[in-house]
Amino acid sequence: MAILNGCEFPGDRSYFIERTQMTWVKVEGERIVVGLTDPAQTRAGKILHVRVKPAGTVREKGKPIATVESGKWAGPVLAPVAGTVLESNAEVEQDPGLLNTDPYGRGWIVKMSAAAPAELVQLLSGDAALARFKEVLEKDNIHCVRCQE
Amino acid sequence: MPGVSPSHAMTEATPSTPASDPAGKKILMIMTTGPEEPDKTYAPFYTAALMAAMEIDTTMYFLMHAPELLKKGTAEKVPLKKGGNLKMFIDMARENGVKFVACAESCRDLCEIAPSDLIEGVKLVGSATMADLALEADSVLSF
Repeated sequence: MAILNGCEFPGDRSYFIERTQMTWVKVEGERIVVGLTDPAQTRAGKILHVRVKPAGTVREKGKPIATVESGKWAGPVLAPVAGTVLESNAEVEQDPGLLNTDPYGRGWIVKMSAAAPAELVQLLSGDAALARFKEVLEKDNIHCVRCQE
Repeated sequence: MPGVSPSHAMTEATPSTPASDPAGKKILMIMTTGPEEPDKTYAPFYTAALMAAMEIDTTMYFLMHAPELLKKGTAEKVPLKKGGNLKMFIDMARENGVKFVACAESCRDLCEIAPSDLIEGVKLVGSATMADLALEADSVLSF
């Protein structure tokens, strides 16, 4: 687990970092799990609502798989790779605060298939991911906090 | 809801299961309020940003004093109750793909804003365009 500006970055996953997007991707067998990173949930603030695309939704890379609302931010969570939503996390729809309190665990957003495995290679991991996060955190002056219940 | 105050109930997270996916629909937002009423300015941009994130083709049409919000340097001076200013909401809406269209007559005759004084990405149009946009939209919201 690496830590930058108080933001945690588990080493067992890859990251999609483009424009306003900072999501994580974890490969589990034939499918991937996607969620918000620590800096993403910090930037959003206390998340009040989340709407996740249902299972069966086919997405191109960069198309929304969910929308997230806090009092100060409203935006999409974009598909880090092309694929099909296999399962959406009903628990985060019931309790969106999980995106803040447990972004790498119970706060996962979707499980999906990856249509093009080559796109997974394009995601950042390890030192490359940390270097990119360092740039973003400094540019946007993000210091992570975890909202409490 | 027993034991829950109305204010709590309003902010309570609720699962939202849409009856149908709104992606691809069109919404036109008519914006008439300018910086003279700061409290009425941020919610439309927030809502528009959210709708665009939902893949709804979202256009905001600014007329009367509303184009003043799009004048360079103005949004930074429109304060929000919880701190910060309007610019972050305008930026968020633009990042999510909301289109900004301003009434040329309002800009010229009422707000006295030169086209070069508008922030980037604002399209100036005549009043008839509002009719076109309204008729093309699946829904029209007025603020």
